[in-house]
Amino acid sequence: MQSLRELQRAFRAATLFGDSAALASLDLVGGSLQPAARIAVYRNNILGNYRKALAATYPVVRRLVGESFFAAVVEHFVHDYPSTRGDVNRYGSEFAMFLASYAPARDLAYLPDVARLEWAIDQASIAADAPPLDIDALAGVPAAAQGLLRFALHPSLQLVVSVHPILRIWQVNQPDHVGEDRVDLSEGGDALLVQRGRGGVCIERIGEGERAWLAAFAENATLADATALATAAEPGFDLAAALRHRVVAQTIVGFRAPPSPASGKPT
Amino acid sequence: MPATPLPIAAGIGLRAPHVAQIRAERPAIAWLEVHSENYFVDGGLALTALDAIRSDYAVSLHGVGLSLGSADPLDRAHLSKLRDLADRIEPAAVSEHLCWGHVDGRHLNDLLPLPFTDEALDIVCDRVDKVQAALARPILVENVSAYLRFGCDAMAEWEFVAAVASRTGCKLLFDVNNVYVNAVNHGFDPKAYLAAIPADAVAEIHLAGFDASGACLIDSHGTHVAPPVWVLYRETIERFGPQPTLIEWDTDIPALAVLLDEAAEAQRMLEACDAVAA
Repeated sequence: MQSLRELQRAFRAATLFGDSAALASLDLVGGSLQPAARIAVYRNNILGNYRKALAATYPVVRRLVGESFFAAVVEHFVHDYPSTRGDVNRYGSEFAMFLASYAPARDLAYLPDVARLEWAIDQASIAADAPPLDIDALAGVPAAAQGLLRFALHPSLQLVVSVHPILRIWQVNQPDHVGEDRVDLSEGGDALLVQRGRGGVCIERIGEGERAWLAAFAENATLADATALATAAEPGFDLAAALRHRVVAQTIVGFRAPPSPASGKPT
Repeated sequence: MPATPLPIAAGIGLRAPHVAQIRAERPAIAWLEVHSENYFVDGGLALTALDAIRSDYAVSLHGVGLSLGSADPLDRAHLSKLRDLADRIEPAAVSEHLCWGHVDGRHLNDLLPLPFTDEALDIVCDRVDKVQAALARPILVENVSAYLRFGCDAMAEWEFVAAVASRTGCKLLFDVNNVYVNAVNHGFDPKAYLAAIPADAVAEIHLAGFDASGACLIDSHGTHVAPPVWVLYRETIERFGPQPTLIEWDTDIPALAVLLDEAAEAQRMLEACDAVAA
């Protein structure tokens, strides 16, 4: 007799991969319905669950490729990247990477980046909450120490960069979009900031300097180093404006100051 | 807010399309049930909404992904998220399904049928013991619909279900629709099922609609509770006494009023059963 593990392995092979030897080994019994038809019920349910879950996370990708193409993509994806958790809501972190190598979608060069944007939106929607920055504490940092500040970013912040106009593609494929829905693919790329606010996830187009600046904070850079990177990326980068905007928007939610010379203790 | 037992009354499954309306209108619903995994998040609007709803309603956490019947070890990361959520929500009940969902660390994310063997029974009981220890509370375990049976079955489904309850001390979430679906699909008398379950083991009942368009009945949760399931529900509460009863509707989700009408029907039957007993 099969062990439980052997039975479960055979069940997976029979449902996901149509393995007929595995199906025979399951010794399905009873009723007028053939074993292949019974296992097909599960195959349909399993793939249906994944289509539903991935369509919830990637609605624009689904809309761009259409229902039947999406179903084929999902089936290939499920084979190549098996789910590793019992929570299907978060399935699909590798979907963009998979799409980039999926030959039938090769003509849609922007598709993987649209998927990356949709994954960023999903991640932003479930990230931890954070209280706003303590402005008074920040104002108390001595001027000489300001360049050594390290800013903490909102846990929901995601930065997405593409050579394609993915924000415009995303916008015209929203269910409530009205008006012109053509996108000029040659109009250039996007640097996007995705973040959850009080009303939900927002997407904002940002400059290359600000993108470099925030990306540097995400890597734990000091304000001086981050600003140098931002200015290198965009000579006109306006530090004061960026700082004001990002504190008000609660993109920057905290800071660590260097140890004060008076205490002499390292933090 | 301390956790209190589920009220012996009809509730509904809380689904995303109804959250805003329930928060705004606070309709008279005895209790609400949510899928635990939908709140396995660090923050965000859905969790904030659940916190708010919890302050107005008794809430039950109903898991679909813990996989009590996998040969794989228990998924400790999943269990840890469930424990964190239970600590936060202080639910009136925590339930899981009597099924499996992963093998060799690869998940299928569905409620898959177990063979009713001694080995599977041992594994399920071990996992239920561990979950109850981790959560420091008894859980409710739900019978599932199945579209096939295995030649290696050594006992009937009801014997397996009853044994899980008696060996682990867990309570049963008795899904009347699933019993009916299996009775039709596998050709048994649901009365035999009812008779085999210890009367004091059942602590919650589920009702839902099935899909009869294919070659076997499928537990779709996408339509009204079917007339024969209402009949079996009456027999169920006559056997086990009135129990907290939930209307589940997960696909083609209708207006909230439709769910409330179904819950009202269950409530009428609960009260009628009480009146007969009194």
